[in-house]
Amino acid sequence: MITMAHRFALLLVALVALPPAVFGHRLDEYLQATLVSIEAGGVRVQINLTPGVAVADQVLRLIDRDNDGVISTNEAVAYAELLKRDLTLRVDCRDLELKLTAFEFPAPGELRTGWGIMQMEFFSKTSSLAGGAHKVMLENRHVPAASVYLFNAAQPKSGEIQIISQKRNDNQSVGEIEFSFSSPPSSSRVGRIVAPVVILAVAVLFGRRGRTKLVTPT
Amino acid sequence: MSKRIILSSALSILCALLGLNGFAQESPAGKPTEETVAAAKKFLATLDESQRGKVVFDFKDEAQRKRWSNLPTAMVKRGGLRTGEFTQTQRDAVLAVLEAALSRQGYEKVLQIVEADEVLKKTGGQRMFGRDEYYVSFLGQPSLTEPWMIQFGGHHLGLNITLVGDQGTLAPSHTGAQPAIYELEGKTVRPLGRESDKAFALLSSLDEAQRKQAILGFQMRDLVLGPGRDGQTIQPEGIKGSALTDKQREMLLDLASEWIGIMPGAIAKTKMEELKKQVSETWFAWSGPTENGGAAYFRIQGPTVIIEYAPQRLGGDPTKHIHTIYRDPTNEYGAKWRKP
Repeated sequence: MITMAHRFALLLVALVALPPAVFGHRLDEYLQATLVSIEAGGVRVQINLTPGVAVADQVLRLIDRDNDGVISTNEAVAYAELLKRDLTLRVDCRDLELKLTAFEFPAPGELRTGWGIMQMEFFSKTSSLAGGAHKVMLENRHVPAASVYLFNAAQPKSGEIQIISQKRNDNQSVGEIEFSFSSPPSSSRVGRIVAPVVILAVAVLFGRRGRTKLVTPT
Repeated sequence: MSKRIILSSALSILCALLGLNGFAQESPAGKPTEETVAAAKKFLATLDESQRGKVVFDFKDEAQRKRWSNLPTAMVKRGGLRTGEFTQTQRDAVLAVLEAALSRQGYEKVLQIVEADEVLKKTGGQRMFGRDEYYVSFLGQPSLTEPWMIQFGGHHLGLNITLVGDQGTLAPSHTGAQPAIYELEGKTVRPLGRESDKAFALLSSLDEAQRKQAILGFQMRDLVLGPGRDGQTIQPEGIKGSALTDKQREMLLDLASEWIGIMPGAIAKTKMEELKKQVSETWFAWSGPTENGGAAYFRIQGPTVIIEYAPQRLGGDPTKHIHTIYRDPTNEYGAKWRKP
């Protein structure tokens, strides 16, 4: 009797057996594309992982631990934590802890085709940065034998951050971003403190007049 | 459709033989929006009610807007109608829409990319490839005044054309090819050949100090901002336009015109003028071999443009399998013209 697992195995054998020039897509590589966003309060790391068809089962074994053909939330979180253990993030030579903030996993069947993309996002708070130059370093040691890495700094959304340079090793498993941080002028700081207070005061005032609209200070 | 493609490819080859290299130099007057709208309405008129329901999406349908990929349609489902399901009249009508909406250069490129996929199907025997596996969809109704969008795509092609009156943008769109070089009627066809040739010419024009800035010291194995990377913007790298000579800046713009010139004359001209103003702030980066024709990655990145060209190491010779992306971080899907 041919089970679903057998069918998948046969499919994989058939796909892997195809001449590369015919199939022409990611087969035995695990693409890990990382985008590092430096923000005033921390570092955001977004990683998109695409296992090729020939390594998808190997990767799925790391994810679908109970082998029920479904990636549960717990399994997704566990895999993200596994990946996290293979990451080292440093700011100014100091190790920082990453916290999983978001993730999205396609179904195992989609991953097995070699086209499925797993998306994970981590964030690490930085203690208040002094004005001047700083360095962020990220090393990815996840499944090194089969992986192809991309490492890039996101264009900063805040004018307080300026990217000075980026360096990578040859396969981009290690990347370093040098950036400068200019702390906002004191008037802006005062504004940041005063503005929410004013908004809150206005909200309270309008609230007393019976308005239902809520204003959330940001 | 096949007849038109062959005729079109033959025309391209003929033009190359006649030395008419670079359709980008065609008339800047371009084609009127009216022609595209009329062709789109004519195409819709060839469809029955059920087909029209499948091809036209609400303009605000964000899921459909982002449903495009470099991958075969068997792997990533597209919305809209499949070319393989069309009658000959409907196929001709779809081609007429593309012919009206694109420049001659762009139309030729699209046909050559589709034809490459047909070659891939024939040489590999894979039914998921070929000219029957492309999808067309509209977001919104064809209009001379209201925003609407044409999507045409499949394997190695994701055209997202947003039109608002006389304004239009191709961002974001994907072009690719496998094989990136093939024979048709005894002639060699390279759908993305000019992109590669112009990039190598620009690289060759750089002196040692400029090369040191332009060439990235690491491998680039794929597009950074390919399909599915909407909204992401990376820090530019390489050599800045301000460090190039006037002649090199012209070459950089000419290289970018290979993507921008997919759109018809007037729209492409407006975009090229914008780029020209920003050329000093536009970067050129290179990774890989520097010998002419090698499998090299390059990127153009400026305030309103991101272009990447990435040979794929999967599937044999990487020079024969290319992925590219065109983006405008300030106007993806015509964002700046769309009503909130």
